Amino acid sequence: MAEQAYAIEMRGITKTFGSVVANKEVNLTLRQGEILALLGENGSGKTTLMNMLSGIYKPDSGEILVDGKAVSIDSPEDAKKLGIGMVHQHFKLVDVFSAADNIWMGKEKAGFTLKKDRYDQVGEMVKKFGFDIDPRKKVRNMAVSEKQTLEIIKVLYYGAKVIILDEPTAVLTVQEIQKLFEVLRRMKEQGHSIIIITHKLNEVMDISDRVAILRKGEYITTVNTAETSEQALTEWMVGRKIDLNIDRPIVEKKKPLLEIRDLTIRNDEGAVAIDHVNFYIRGGEMLGVAGIAGCGQKELCEAIAGLRPIESGLMIHQGDNIVGLSPKAILEKGISMSFIPEDRLGMGLAPSMSITDNMILKNYGETKGPFVDRKAGRQAAEHVVQELGVVTPSTETPVRRLSGGNVQKVLLGREIKAGPNVIVTAYPVRGLDINSSYAIYNILNEQKKSGVGVLFVGEDLDVMLALCDKIMVLCHGKVMGVVHAHKTTKEELGLMMTGALDLTRKYEDKPAGYARDTNITPEELEELNRAKEGEED
Amino acid sequence: MRFHVVKRDNCPLWKKLTWYLAAVAAALVLGGLLLLALGVNPVAYYSRMFTMGMVGNKIAYKTFENYLKVFVPLALTSVALSLAFKMRFWNIGGEGQFILGAVAAATVAMKLGPVLPGALTLILMCLAAMLCAGLYGAFVAVLKVKFGTNETLMTLMLNYVALYFITFLGETQAPWNFYLDPASVRPIFASFSKIVAFPKIPMGKFGLNVCVIFTFAIGALVYIYLRYTKQGYEIAVVGDSAGTAHYAGMKVNAIVLRTVFLSACLIGLAAAFKVGTAGILSTSITDDVGWTGIIVAWLSQLNTAAIFVVSALISMLRYGSTVAATTFSQVDSSFANMLQGAILFLVLAADFLTRFRVVPVQKGGKANGHG
Amino acid sequence: MDMDKLGVVTSFIHNIVVYNIPLLYGTVGEIMVEKSGSLNLGVEGIMAVGAIFGYIVGCYANSLAVGVFTAFLMGALCGLLFAALTVSLQANQNITGLTLTTFGLGVYFFVGNGLKAVKWPAMNDYANIKNGFADIAIPGLSQIPVLGKGLFSHNILVYLAVVIALVMWWYLNRTGPGLRLRAVGENPGAADSVGVNVKRTKYIHICLGCGIMGIGGYYMGLNMSGSFSSSCWINGYGWIAVALVIFANWNPALAILGTFVFGFFNTLRVSGSSLAAAFPGPLGWLAAVPTQLYQALPFIITAIVLVATSVRKREGSGLPAALGLNYFREER
Repeated sequence: MAEQAYAIEMRGITKTFGSVVANKEVNLTLRQGEILALLGENGSGKTTLMNMLSGIYKPDSGEILVDGKAVSIDSPEDAKKLGIGMVHQHFKLVDVFSAADNIWMGKEKAGFTLKKDRYDQVGEMVKKFGFDIDPRKKVRNMAVSEKQTLEIIKVLYYGAKVIILDEPTAVLTVQEIQKLFEVLRRMKEQGHSIIIITHKLNEVMDISDRVAILRKGEYITTVNTAETSEQALTEWMVGRKIDLNIDRPIVEKKKPLLEIRDLTIRNDEGAVAIDHVNFYIRGGEMLGVAGIAGCGQKELCEAIAGLRPIESGLMIHQGDNIVGLSPKAILEKGISMSFIPEDRLGMGLAPSMSITDNMILKNYGETKGPFVDRKAGRQAAEHVVQELGVVTPSTETPVRRLSGGNVQKVLLGREIKAGPNVIVTAYPVRGLDINSSYAIYNILNEQKKSGVGVLFVGEDLDVMLALCDKIMVLCHGKVMGVVHAHKTTKEELGLMMTGALDLTRKYEDKPAGYARDTNITPEELEELNRAKEGEED
Repeated sequence: MRFHVVKRDNCPLWKKLTWYLAAVAAALVLGGLLLLALGVNPVAYYSRMFTMGMVGNKIAYKTFENYLKVFVPLALTSVALSLAFKMRFWNIGGEGQFILGAVAAATVAMKLGPVLPGALTLILMCLAAMLCAGLYGAFVAVLKVKFGTNETLMTLMLNYVALYFITFLGETQAPWNFYLDPASVRPIFASFSKIVAFPKIPMGKFGLNVCVIFTFAIGALVYIYLRYTKQGYEIAVVGDSAGTAHYAGMKVNAIVLRTVFLSACLIGLAAAFKVGTAGILSTSITDDVGWTGIIVAWLSQLNTAAIFVVSALISMLRYGSTVAATTFSQVDSSFANMLQGAILFLVLAADFLTRFRVVPVQKGGKANGHG
Repeated sequence: MDMDKLGVVTSFIHNIVVYNIPLLYGTVGEIMVEKSGSLNLGVEGIMAVGAIFGYIVGCYANSLAVGVFTAFLMGALCGLLFAALTVSLQANQNITGLTLTTFGLGVYFFVGNGLKAVKWPAMNDYANIKNGFADIAIPGLSQIPVLGKGLFSHNILVYLAVVIALVMWWYLNRTGPGLRLRAVGENPGAADSVGVNVKRTKYIHICLGCGIMGIGGYYMGLNMSGSFSSSCWINGYGWIAVALVIFANWNPALAILGTFVFGFFNTLRVSGSSLAAAFPGPLGWLAAVPTQLYQALPFIITAIVLVATSVRKREGSGLPAALGLNYFREER
């Protein structure tokens, strides 16, 4: 029997952004009429890969074949013509338009005049696919899940034969997920081929025919879903445990420096990002925070730094409640936060300004008189450049011109220069090479040895297992467990990250996240409980 | 062969300058072609324009004095505007702020001038101008900060309100209107140059108006302010990344307000200088400095030192074209506006080449160059 | 009321239209440009360019149609320049627009003053232009007392402006291309993702809009009987148009109304004294209001509207969400 061409085949795809290799020689095949799950941790390159199918990026090298023919996808229009449609994580909808118009605006033969019957046409089609959206409803009045549905309908409407969904279930309720899966199965029967990017292992097992796994930009393997298990998938996703040889000094623990009790935070869209979370950090201790991208780490870091208001809960630092304090006040208390976002020049650095100018960002106001003390800044900059091996023509080079890794070194170097007692650092080694990473680990260990409490939000489980004392796993904003690093395994962490394992109740007498020698006063606890009861009414 | 536009990481200064100068040269060439079409010798015209007719002129010093009268307000206004622009606050209200400053200064001159010693009057004129103009600008900043009102359109509207205000003063004959010349039947502004005026330092026949010295001094002060003081540092950070500024604990709104106020103040000061030198108000007191200043500020990439250089050149262009118009009557003095426009368009085009690279793409899904 | 007073009122209404139709052209043109996501501050200059070239070419060709077409073409050319700079070359929209104003006005004065030395076409010498610009009474409607003569007895360019405004309203809200235009102005990323050619859409509509502005300038030139001395240029009409766009909530049909409102105050300046003389009782105070206040009124009103709309956080606003932002696909 002649072998049918793959619906999509990607061969040797490589894509680099500056010095970051997002995809390295990735191969992917999608059979006709199958549902393929694309699995991987953050930073594994899944979205980048799919963006090349949808025409947003162009690969640096490699080939893409659609139905066996080599193609060049230069724009979303090309992708559309090839019958490829993608439903993105960040919706591309016009808020002020109705649902029908969002679909209609891309219609080739829309006709010159807009007829009222377009609402009916769209409405019919929507029903045909089993969805329930009012075609006249304006997008800005829609709930997040409705917008998601609209994006899916949009893609179907343009007759895409290959449909890519990027984390579609992240914003859906359980029932909606089931409905979505019914639709996907029906589309499969009708001959569509589907790629679904997801982290949720249970969904992978539920809906997909095959699973392709990416790890750190590289392609690992593709397996038949029926022949594998969640355990096996986790292992592929996170890889075998690598012995990293990172130092983990044992430091005498001190009283808890920062205690978080029952913290709830909302994200920008109004959804709950952090959900009644408890944990604490001692001086001289490093607590890792593991979790899939979007599980609330960003919001947590911002809240601790005073950049984001919280909805409820306590944040006690050395006995003082820091809820509601300004960022400056929190800095003065000795809490320093550095967050390396994906574009690496987000908060924390002024990209057009020099290293020296960025070093004095947090303490420029402390000098007497109207002038800025650049001399001290330059010294600090030179110190950081030397100690951390920052590659730069000089300390006056604009930060924007530094390569990714060096930018992070500057950022962390600055945080440490401020002499904090609590360091919150998120993805400090993102994109760094081995040597630079080790330099960062050493710095963090030095800080730990001098009694600083470190909250380490990271992506690499191997590193966290080697470096941190304890690891807290978040999933959808909830704590799944706080475990000792030397007592846990990568698989256990992986399972907690995807929500398959909950260890918070493991020790009955010692619920995770509560310090025995807490600083929180009974009055504050009273207050908190009263607020909680009010909430539950 | 298809093309792919990619952002550049960095463009060295010499390359930028080369592109910009090429653009200016191209504009001059285009202007020259237009002159030829009118039957005018471009070389003759340009040389007269750029020397402002000072060559072989017995009263060349007078010409230079007049040139400085164009240069001073333009340089100072451009510096002022650059302060606001650095924070991405598009202060298009230079015209209106200038007018209010001028009126304030004139009021002080006419009311207090006869009573107080000259130097004191001049100082009070400057202060009054700065305050009025500053508030006019700060008003819009408050609206922007509190309600997010579009500052471009708002300052634009206020320009015209100020313009009609001064027109009102200039055309309404009424007992309360001390701005008008009582001796004249038609309404014209009264001159107060005999009452108070900025002194000139005699250098031979040439008199150097002290305002010139003040302007350079202020330019130097602004340079120092931006580069070395804490407030200047804050302006730089806010303009670069408001998120980072907030993260560092800076009060972004207060910084915006303060800087816009300062920006408008300096424009008021420029107006005071002009009024104190000219000795008389006029509905065209601005001489379009609010508009030209925006172009100068942008061409100088908001760099204080560059602003002085560019102001000098643009002033030369503007004043020179009025001088040249006397010799070459077919060429109207608005040639300067056209040339200025052409220069800016070509520089904008050149700017694209400094920020982006055009990369050829081969067919077949492979691309040259990195994304 | 006696016939004399009626005559004054009729004349007043007539003047509102006559002097302020350029505003409608400018506003409607700018609405089209802004709906594509570009804030074009060059309206004043573009109208000037349309005025000068439309007039000269129209006169020499002795055809009003040629004049209109030329004005449109020159305006569209300016639009092409603006589009090339801001859409393809990613230049700052504010700076480009302001430069276009300076440049356009420069061209206007340069040609206007310069050509005086040559031979300036006088409108009255060209019969077709003069007749073409004469008032046409709409049968039936123009018989209505007062309003009839005031509103329905105008030259063809007035009717053309209203027609353009209404057509544009229909185009924006009831056609496919209009839908795509609005999408580009609201969320170019969304439009791009469904295959709308963002660049081409912007180019076309910027040029169209600027062309319409050009016709408005031509009308102004004709209205001044082609004298074109610098004092006759109605200062600031271009900026008022920019303001009117906001006042009309980016709705071309409302722009007609808006033109009337702004025009009302503008015409009070001219006809205020005659109105005061005709109705000394209720309107006598009109003569005492300084003309400059009338002149400033459109800008004051717009300033108030600007603040009011920003306070209300633009609910139901026609403001295109991506206005003023340049679109670059591979932002990373």
